[in-house]
This record gives sequence, C-alpha cells and structure tokens, in this order.
Amino acid sequence: MTRKGGGPEGLGGGTNYEAPRRHRWVADRPRLSERRWLLLMLAPFLVGVVVLVLVPFAVTMVLAFADYDLVRAPRWIGPANFVALVRDPAFRAALGNSLLFAAIAVPGRVLIAFGLALLLHRRARVAGTARTAAALPTAVPEVAYGLLFLWLFNPLYGPINQILTTGGTRGLTIFGRTPPQWLTDPQDAQAAIVIMSLFTIGEMFVILLAARRLLPREAYELAAIEDATTWDVLRRVTLPLMAPVLALLLIRDTVQSFQYSFVPTLVVTEGGPPPYATTHLSLFIYRNAFEYLRYGYAAAATLVMLALTVAAVLVQWRLIRRYRSLRPEG
Amino acid sequence: MPYGLLLDGVGVAYGSTEVLHDINLRVAKGELLVVLGPSGAGKSTLLRVVAGLEPATRGRVLITGRDVTGLRPGRRNVSMVFQSFALFPHLSVAENIGFGLLVRDVPRAAAAERARLAAEAVGCAHLLDRRPGQLSGGERQRVALARALVRQPDVFLLDEPLSNLDLELRVEMRAELRALHGRVGAATVHVTHDQTEALVLGDRIAVLRDGVIEQVGPPDEIWSRPATTFVARFVGSPAMNLLPADGLLRPLGEPSDAPRGADRLFGFRPEAVQLGWGEGEEGVVERVDVVGDDAYAYLRVAGQPVVARVRSGNRPAVGDKSLVAVWWSDVHLFDAASGRRVDPP
Repeated sequence: MTRKGGGPEGLGGGTNYEAPRRHRWVADRPRLSERRWLLLMLAPFLVGVVVLVLVPFAVTMVLAFADYDLVRAPRWIGPANFVALVRDPAFRAALGNSLLFAAIAVPGRVLIAFGLALLLHRRARVAGTARTAAALPTAVPEVAYGLLFLWLFNPLYGPINQILTTGGTRGLTIFGRTPPQWLTDPQDAQAAIVIMSLFTIGEMFVILLAARRLLPREAYELAAIEDATTWDVLRRVTLPLMAPVLALLLIRDTVQSFQYSFVPTLVVTEGGPPPYATTHLSLFIYRNAFEYLRYGYAAAATLVMLALTVAAVLVQWRLIRRYRSLRPEG
Repeated sequence: MPYGLLLDGVGVAYGSTEVLHDINLRVAKGELLVVLGPSGAGKSTLLRVVAGLEPATRGRVLITGRDVTGLRPGRRNVSMVFQSFALFPHLSVAENIGFGLLVRDVPRAAAAERARLAAEAVGCAHLLDRRPGQLSGGERQRVALARALVRQPDVFLLDEPLSNLDLELRVEMRAELRALHGRVGAATVHVTHDQTEALVLGDRIAVLRDGVIEQVGPPDEIWSRPATTFVARFVGSPAMNLLPADGLLRPLGEPSDAPRGADRLFGFRPEAVQLGWGEGEEGVVERVDVVGDDAYAYLRVAGQPVVARVRSGNRPAVGDKSLVAVWWSDVHLFDAASGRRVDPP
C-alpha cells in the first residue's frame, strides 16, 4: 500500500488482514504502469465511444459530401448537398421550426422545473406526492407518451378540447371561438409539440430540487431578518445562487431540444400539418435517410444540426463563465 | 432600568420534545449577555426565538418595550451574525454589508455610504470590492459583523461567531467584539459553548442546560458562586472536583457544625487543591497532564477522583502518594440530590 495512485495493489483496499493472498496474486504478474492500468479501466467505455460515436461521426462527415442511397456505391459530389439544403424549403422550414421550438420550449421547461423545485423543495405532506407527479411524465416511454398525447389532442373526443369546449355550443368554446386544432392547424400543432415538451422535465426538476436543497438555510434566515420580500429573496438570493445550475441546464436542454422533439413530431403530428409545420431537423434527417434513402443529404443536414449544437454550447458557455466566481464555496 | 430585550416565560417545544423551558431573561440596552451551554442545550434555539426564526410555543418576547412575539423576523429590528457567517458568495463585500439596506429600499448611494461606515467600524473597509470567496476566515467574520451593524439594530444576536476561527484569531476577535459592543450600545446576546469566551466577553452569563437556565449572573459570580453542580463543572477546566461530603477528605478549617451528610457534595476547583501540605488525606497520582507552567495531577483519594493544579516544576510522578488538602473557604457546598448550591449556615 505504499505506492501512490491507483496501482493494482491500491485497488485491494486498506484491509490488512486479507491483503497477503491478494498481494501475491497481483505480484506474480508483471506490473502494469499506472497509465496502462487507467487505459484498461477506460477500455470498455472507449470502445463504445469509438464504435458507436466516433466511427459513425466520421462516416457522416464523409457521407455529407457524397450521394448515397444504400444501393449504389457512394459518389463524391462535393458540397452539393449543402447547396441543395440551402435551397430546400423543407430544410429551411425544419431549421426554423427547430430554432423556434428551442427558443420557446427550453426556457419554458427550465422555468417550469425551477418553479416546481422552489415550490416543492420543502418538507410538507403533499410535497412528496407532488414531487413524484412532477417527475413521472419523464419516466413514461417516449412513444407511449406520444400516443397518449395523440389521444389528448384529438380535436373531437380528446379530453383537452372536451374541456375547452365545455359550456360552448356546436363544438365552439364558451367564448364562441373554434378550439385549437392541435393536429391540423400549423400554429396549433407547433404549440402542441411545445406543450408536450413542458411535462417531461422530471430530470431537470430533480437536479434543481437537489440544487435548491443545497443552498444554505442561513442565507434565507438572514434574508428573513432583513425583511426581504419573496421577490427580493428570489432575485437576490435564490436566482444568483442557483444561476450556475440553471445556466448548465439551459445549455444542455438547448442541445437536447434538437432531439427530444423527434418522437412527438413523428408520432403525434407526423411533421405536419402540411407542408412542414412541425418538421424539425431531427425528423427531416430521419425522413431523408430512412424514408427517402438520401443518406448523403441527411448526413449534410446532420452536420448542420451539429454546428448549431456547438454554437449553442459556445454561446452559453461564454454566459456561464461570468458566473464562475459565483459558485458558493464549500 | 430600560431593557433592550426581555424574554418572559418563553418555552419552545417540537411536538412533545421541550427544547426551551420557561426562559426568563432581561438584557439591558448596551449589555452583553453571553448564553453559555453545551451543544444541544438550546442556545441557538433561544437566539432563533428572539430573531423570530423559530416560534415561541409559550411566553413573550419583548424588544425595547414592543411585544414582538407574533412579529416576523424582519419586523423585530434585530440583526444576527451566523456561525457560518452566511455571506452571499455572489455579492461583493460592500453589497453583502448593504444587503439589509437594499432590500429595505434604502437608495443605493446611501446604502453604499452606510456600508462603508460599518466596514470602517470593524476594520474591513479595505475589502469592500472583494468577494467573500477571496477573504480569510477573520475577514469574513468582520464582514458579517459589519453587515449586522449597518442597520443600528435594537438587539444584536451572535450565534457562536468565533467558533469557526483559529485560536489566535479568536482571541483577537474576542477583544474586538468586546470593544465593538461598547460602541454599539445595543442589547447583545452572544451564544457560545466556550467558557473562556463567556467569561471574557460577558457583562453577564446565562448558563443553559437542556433548555433550562441554570444560572444568570456576572462572570465573577458564575465563577465564584456557581448555583448548581452543572455550572460548577461546566465553567472551569479541568472541571471542579465534586466529592460526597461524608467522605474521608475533610477540608482544613472546617467548622465543627459543617454538614457531613451524604446528601451534600463538596465542590472545589483544581487550583484550590493543596498537595503535600502536611495535612489532609492520602491520594495516589494516576495521571499527570502538563500544560506549560501548569500541571494537572489526577489523583484518587479514598476511591474518589480529585484533580489538582500544581506548578509543573514540582509536579508529582504517576504512582506517587501525596497528601491532598483543601481549605474550607475554597469549598462550595451543593445538595447531592438537586445539585443546587447550599450556602453554609
């Protein structure tokens, strides 16, 4: 146990009574250097990263500059895919939809998760049940969740419009207006996708709940002694202290928003109403690759999505850096 | 006498667990009361009840004549220094000090000016632009003090404010706290488990045990006339010797009518014990702790433990036999059953 670092003996733990047998077992073998040992431990993960992420990524990079349909051999066509993308109204719609969705859904999701965390972090009788309820939708499998909302959003017998038309006549709301046509009106369908995303915030909620609970009680007691209002406490205590976590979640959710709209747009709205009201980048890529067999084209769109992701991370990373010094020290 | 703070029969209970029991305390304006007790005695709860962070189950809290029992913390005009200092890491020192003013809608410029004055009063004016993360423990302490002072509170509450500092700094801050208190003039309640701190700082000391006040009085009185065996043993290190009065050890100069019953306890401090006086009862030295010039000899006298302070130059060795004596005038008398002080007739 004299060696520093994570050598093989070090892994045996500090139990002396059991050490001799183990020691010999290890000592009989040639000693691995620490670096090799680390590499060995990392190997399963590295293999996964290489095979499942890096290789497909490299293939995508190459395919983006090729024409490929699974049948004929890929043909190098240079940047033609990107030129086509720029001219493609479907792609432009998808890009716009994805950005619009991120701009609305991400702040909404973070805000709701934050609000729920602030409401439910205390110990109270109903808080436990409410916490479970808040986290639950995230645990529902995505496709099942999508099918559920397909029913909820049904314009005729879906519960949402049933409620909205309560008290009205001839299928209108009580104010005499047509209820939202979730699946057939372009804007209503976009709203439907956003609404669906607002409930699957369980993980963010749990993270914010934990972060809120880590804040020192004294900070709030001090604020109470100084007669700070609820708004002052939120603005001057809670928000700044939780800003690093909130910023991190904003970044992460922006990146993920390009992806988690995929199943809803596929299952519930099928990218429509026509032509492309709820076609997001992810769905655009999926359709081009697996329905139209335009792999090169889809790969090019994937790269655009990747660039967007990187840009989002960079922008928000710069914002976060300002909060670096604000981290409460231990 | 005008009082700054009055606790009138205050009790706190969580369900059936009583944390504070019938606390009656009066702190004059400008007085520094130290609440002393072991951890779990209810010291912090007492402070929190005064601040309004914890509701009193019974009794009343009055601050300069106002009954504040039902008022929320912000309406009591108290300020508090927390053990952890509770500085906001995202605010500069100046903003931290001015926090209470800003949330009370004092204009920014006025708040900054008052924050600067408060910082000067505690000697941290040069830190105003820093953030708490860049400060040492002592500097944070000063900032926390400045923040508590900035508002001219009626009652100033300090919850173990020195316990997070190292010894040297603690001694220094103790003196500064004392001086600061002289200038502030608010009724101050200072909670600590450190008896030295209590003796040095307090105008009066309230010794708290299991939610009950055992004794309130000036440090001299707490030291020289402890009201209970608990106070006697809690204040002073090593703790006061307590022996049954019917034991073999007889104090020198004991009057003939002195109580000898088993219902009485003799108490005497280690510094009152005389070793090798030529009189007294024989004891065996079991352990000797040397602390610089002083040494503490732990003896066993007729089956009872006795601690004696001696000059370390002529300390006994372990196993030595020595005559143990104590003068009657140094002996405190307690009731064995209740632990209360009994004054000799």
